[in-house]
Amino acid sequence: MIEFNNIKKVFKSDLLTQPFVAIDGLSFKIEKGSITGYLGANGAGKTTSLKILMDFIRPTSGEVLLDTKYFKNKNDFFKKLGFLPERPFFYPNLTGREFCYYMGKLSGVSKSKINEQVIKWAPKFAIEFALDREIKTYSKGMLQRVGFLVTLLHDPEIIILDEPLSGLDPIGRKELKDVIRLIRNEGKTIFFSSHIVQDVEEVCDSVIFIKSGKLVYQGSVDDIISENIVLENKVSYELDGQTHIEMIKESEKMNFLNDLLAKNANIISVEKKNPTLEEVFYNVE
Amino acid sequence: MWNNISTISYYTFKEIIKSKVLVNVLILGLLQLLVTYIAYSFTYGEPSRVALDFGIGTLNLSAIGIAIFMGVGLLSDEIENRTVYMIISRPVSRSSFILGRLLGLLSILIVNIVTLSVISLFLYFITGGDFQPLILWTIFATLLESMIVLIIVSLLSMLTSKTLSVLLTILIYILGNAIDAAKLLEFVKIRPLLGHILDAYHFLLPGFYKFNFKPYLLYKQNLSIEYLTTSIGYGLLYAIGLVFLSLYVFNKKDLD
Repeated sequence: MIEFNNIKKVFKSDLLTQPFVAIDGLSFKIEKGSITGYLGANGAGKTTSLKILMDFIRPTSGEVLLDTKYFKNKNDFFKKLGFLPERPFFYPNLTGREFCYYMGKLSGVSKSKINEQVIKWAPKFAIEFALDREIKTYSKGMLQRVGFLVTLLHDPEIIILDEPLSGLDPIGRKELKDVIRLIRNEGKTIFFSSHIVQDVEEVCDSVIFIKSGKLVYQGSVDDIISENIVLENKVSYELDGQTHIEMIKESEKMNFLNDLLAKNANIISVEKKNPTLEEVFYNVE
Repeated sequence: MWNNISTISYYTFKEIIKSKVLVNVLILGLLQLLVTYIAYSFTYGEPSRVALDFGIGTLNLSAIGIAIFMGVGLLSDEIENRTVYMIISRPVSRSSFILGRLLGLLSILIVNIVTLSVISLFLYFITGGDFQPLILWTIFATLLESMIVLIIVSLLSMLTSKTLSVLLTILIYILGNAIDAAKLLEFVKIRPLLGHILDAYHFLLPGFYKFNFKPYLLYKQNLSIEYLTTSIGYGLLYAIGLVFLSLYVFNKKDLD
């Protein structure tokens, strides 16, 4: 659906400073109907690459290819796109509802349709109580919620979110993740960047890791876990009146258990340890 | 495209109006009333001229002030606060965005100029002034002048820092008003190179002195219709040229 083709972005602020390579030959694909997490540490190049995708900045080399099966042209892409930037800050003197009308109108949505969408989504973001207040009175979490709401007003087919969960409290994070799941169930394509692995693991089916502007991994969450971890077992046993707990690799499990039985040890439990994406992420890095 | 431009200009206007900038205009209007009353009390002879002098002066200062201090953030604040991302990630071209923003602030300038002009003319007429067509030309020239200043400051804010943009715009405004008189100085006349530099400056940067009809208005001197239309035409063409330059710069700019 969208392809990053060998994108490179070099920033050079002035003659005296060394050029800074923010993105270095980055290539990956976003497939239709997928929900993809875009992972990388702070400064890895996530936001820069999203800016290139959105045409806010131009790449030094390489190109973003849009599949003509889904998008007739760049304008058609923007019609079908919902984008939420990182740490959004909106017009402080407009109310949340006025902002919804503003953004909806720019996406070609009628006022009645905007009202319908606001009625549909505002309760899910728990923001309906504040829509008639001026945006300058909003907290950071409320800004994030109203930003997400206006992203959905025109019922976009592809939704790109830059760190949508950053700065939210645990309840806010859960509510927004619930909305992401809900959108996924409607068959939308979602691409969101985050530096919090757990968030991606909870809602995404595929993941893209980048580091220092380079692709480290692209694939399904399950695959990366199975490809990059060493399965371990937590074995608890009693020997000579003392309880022991040891972590044993899967490949060594049978030999270890046979040894214990030979020593007349009392095996209390053998638990397979399920690794998280976060642990895998650290290994891959 | 026009739908997007009108939507952006409407909400830009609404956002600025709600920021209570017009309260400042009304305060200026009240001050104008007060100052004119005080000046009127101490003036013998032509109180209407004093009213008009203060009126046009206040009008000019407030229009240029609004153009500079609101115009400097018109685009740079949008980039800084990332609000521009919310807009141009929709089917909205960068050109529509910049034109909408400029038109929105231009509407504020018009509201400001109309409000203060009504107060000025009210004071002028009640102090015995009579109608001169040059009043309307002067008001329109003030609008045109502030529009050019607005486009210059917003263009500069895309190229450099906000503080430097404000300082450069003020400098361009002062030089643009003084350049004609500067060319007549004996100091310049005896230095041909300096004269050429001033000519080059005049060729590139706006000659704001062309919009200064106030002395002719106050002393009831005639200005030919050719001079008036040439000055206004020059201003309009200059503004259009600056808009195209702004569109070019904004379309090329990395919105980082």
